[in-house]
Amino acid sequence: MTDTPLTRAEKRQAKRIRRFDNPWLNPKLIWGAGLLIAIVAMGLLGRVFWDPDLVFTGSAQLKLPPLGFENLRGQSGIMSNPLGTDGGGRDMLALIIIGAPNTLFVGLLASLIGMSIGIFLGFSAGFVGGRTDDVIRVLADVMITIPPLLILVVFQTAYGDVSLTMMALLIAGFVWQSPTRLIRAQVLSMKQSGYVQMAQLSGASTGHIMFREMLPNLVPYLFGSFIASVTTSIVTAVGLEVLGLGPQRIPTLGRTIYEAINAGALIQNLWWWWGIPTLLLGIIFIGLLLINLGLDEVSNPRLRRLS
Amino acid sequence: MKFTATLLASSALALIASAATAQDVARENTVIFDLDRTIQDPENFNWMTPGTKRMHGAHQTMWEPLFILNYGTGELDPWLATGFESNADSTRFTISLREGVEWSDGEAFDADDVIFTVNIALTDEEISSREASTIRAQIASVTKIDDLTVQFDLNDPNPRFIVENFGVRIFGSFLIMPEHIWNGENPATFAFNPPIGTGPYTFTSAASNRAIWDRNDDWWGAKTGFMDLPAPERVIFLESGGEESRAQLMASNQLDAAQNVTIGTFEAIQAQNPNVIAWYADYPYAAADPCARQLEINTTIAPWDNANMRKAVAHIIDRNQIVNIAYEGTTTASQTMFAQYGSMAPFIDAVVEAGYGLPAAADVAAGQALITAEGWTRDGDYYTKDGETLSVNIHVNSASTEYTRTIDVIVEQLQRAGIDARAVPVENGVFWGEVLPFGAYEMSYSWLSCGSVNEPWASMGRYTVADVVPVGERSPGFNNTSRWDGPAAETYSAIMADIAARPLGDEAIPGLVAEAYQHLDAEMPFIPLVQAAKLLPMNETYWTGWPTADNYYNHPFFWWNHTHQIIHNLEPAQ
Repeated sequence: MTDTPLTRAEKRQAKRIRRFDNPWLNPKLIWGAGLLIAIVAMGLLGRVFWDPDLVFTGSAQLKLPPLGFENLRGQSGIMSNPLGTDGGGRDMLALIIIGAPNTLFVGLLASLIGMSIGIFLGFSAGFVGGRTDDVIRVLADVMITIPPLLILVVFQTAYGDVSLTMMALLIAGFVWQSPTRLIRAQVLSMKQSGYVQMAQLSGASTGHIMFREMLPNLVPYLFGSFIASVTTSIVTAVGLEVLGLGPQRIPTLGRTIYEAINAGALIQNLWWWWGIPTLLLGIIFIGLLLINLGLDEVSNPRLRRLS
Repeated sequence: MKFTATLLASSALALIASAATAQDVARENTVIFDLDRTIQDPENFNWMTPGTKRMHGAHQTMWEPLFILNYGTGELDPWLATGFESNADSTRFTISLREGVEWSDGEAFDADDVIFTVNIALTDEEISSREASTIRAQIASVTKIDDLTVQFDLNDPNPRFIVENFGVRIFGSFLIMPEHIWNGENPATFAFNPPIGTGPYTFTSAASNRAIWDRNDDWWGAKTGFMDLPAPERVIFLESGGEESRAQLMASNQLDAAQNVTIGTFEAIQAQNPNVIAWYADYPYAAADPCARQLEINTTIAPWDNANMRKAVAHIIDRNQIVNIAYEGTTTASQTMFAQYGSMAPFIDAVVEAGYGLPAAADVAAGQALITAEGWTRDGDYYTKDGETLSVNIHVNSASTEYTRTIDVIVEQLQRAGIDARAVPVENGVFWGEVLPFGAYEMSYSWLSCGSVNEPWASMGRYTVADVVPVGERSPGFNNTSRWDGPAAETYSAIMADIAARPLGDEAIPGLVAEAYQHLDAEMPFIPLVQAAKLLPMNETYWTGWPTADNYYNHPFFWWNHTHQIIHNLEPAQ
């Protein structure tokens, strides 16, 4: 901080310069990342400070309300289960400590894999062109028209219990097509730009041009696309879980909601059973949305409001 | 202006037309029952083939049984028959049919229909319903004495012949079909659509989630004075979905009788709708179901083909925890395979005194010792042997929270003891149609030793070697789906044959039961879990006269063939 007080105009100027210096430090991005980091931190610290074994059936009394509330039977919340328990005697706090990071994990893993496939195919299609482009483009177009939930429901019904990683892999099979198409379009336009043509003239290899020359220019854009596909992946995963098709014994937010609905939690007014996981899902989605908006500002300077 | 007028006129016309086709029956003249499954083939009414062909209203409203076992009195209430006689050694039974019974198309119901239908079961190997298999196994020949009298000659003495086949002892009975419609059709493929029956309702329409039945005001029973016409003009069986929607429909009076709910849900429904009642007016509300719950084990799949491994699982299971969590305290732990009815006490006592009763609490150490003795070693979370993890998939019917929650508890108990157990939830129709009968499971949650309510044979006789078929073939009548075989099973089956031939009330039976039970205890082809309790919410907003402990004309399980009695007892509320 400076010693001499700045005028309002100077402050604005300084702020503006900082903004331009580092667009990554915009408040939307910071808040979004903060929310997600908080959930991950809750998962990590929770495992240390809270007993993760409480997520299993029968580890506490059934249907206890959170501290300070009463359930229909007139029982009030107790310290050992501060967020209450569900109908199977699972501790809600332990459920969200384990479940929320699990939900985030599926989304991140699925879209990491999906994006990698998308980057590879998108660059190949856009840069190599010809037959390769035809095949990849048609494949991606066809896949875009297939509703992923439909296929995943059939698959999961047929194979029953799957692990979180397996579910992420399955979802990854349905989140690569949009990035593929978008990256292909970007690459096509970038291919015409001077520096790429210069690199081509100077004899750089295809791999070099694709990943060393072009990729760095696409980074903010790829991040945005990545976050969008994390959102899609989580929505898909939660959709499956709410239908009761996710992993059986591994707690996730979606499965908790499924169990609540299945056991009549709404009519029994066990709002904490479905409400807490829903709230956390809301926080995750708001976090992702903020990051996405923040990244938009990074890749599109015109969005940076100069106030 | 002209356009608006045309529009108005046409919409008015459409309104009239739709009203005419729907044949509206007022809500207060309709009774709506809950259906716990999807009707997979709503166009097919051949009850002798697998699928949802009966409990969607067909055998509650349209097809009537010959007798109905009254759970309250223990007597057989005559229905389409008026009575029966048997010879001294129970090998010949003569049934007298009621006079004046008519099919809904006006044809007379008589001995020819009975003989025709029984002969289908005797001659057609392809039909597979439990009732038809039982008939085939028991009857040597059937003879017409006169239009209203039929005589059955049995292969072996069977004092329980009538109640077992024609008395609605458990779920259904052998239903008589009209000869004048079925004659010349292939019983294994005939769809019987439109269906007819002798009951006071006729079929109106069905889709995969509902079936509608309308009253036949020309019913024979009212004409002959057998009974008055039932009060409801229309009966609907509606698939409600899960517990939540069941509860909401009940609270908002869109359902008159619902399938099983948990006690918390029931209390919540009652809080919103004080007209909703259950079997008991107070805790525990639920009626005792004669089908005690058990863990079925496929005894042909390693490592569960080893009796010691099955016994280990039996030790690990904590019945108290199942009662407390899955049933929220509304039932009790099973001591034996039998339903703990007063009439079953002599047999249960005999088994328990002989030392084969099951404890309510677990003995995990004993179970783990058995597993270790079979060469498995604990490696981290689970037992392993030759690089293989000790694991098991447990198939569970996803139709009710009761089922899935019980399996959740068991999965947890096995996991903690070192067995990598998983629940595999399956849709109701798939569970009963594909998983259980063909042995397509390692373990599953069900109640296949169900049968005995006042004698031991009906349950115990379901696990004889005569019913063993290879995995992939349909178990006859869901008997011995465990495919329990070997020397112990053969000794057991011999004792069963002995019990089967003895008259009801023979003093030697409890001793024989205990003797046979030692083999079940040693080999554990299935593991009895808890007694079943059904908490069925019934709604008095539109209808009164529901079966309850205070109004015990029969039990309340409205998916059974005896539901005719319930419908006849319903009266409009006012």
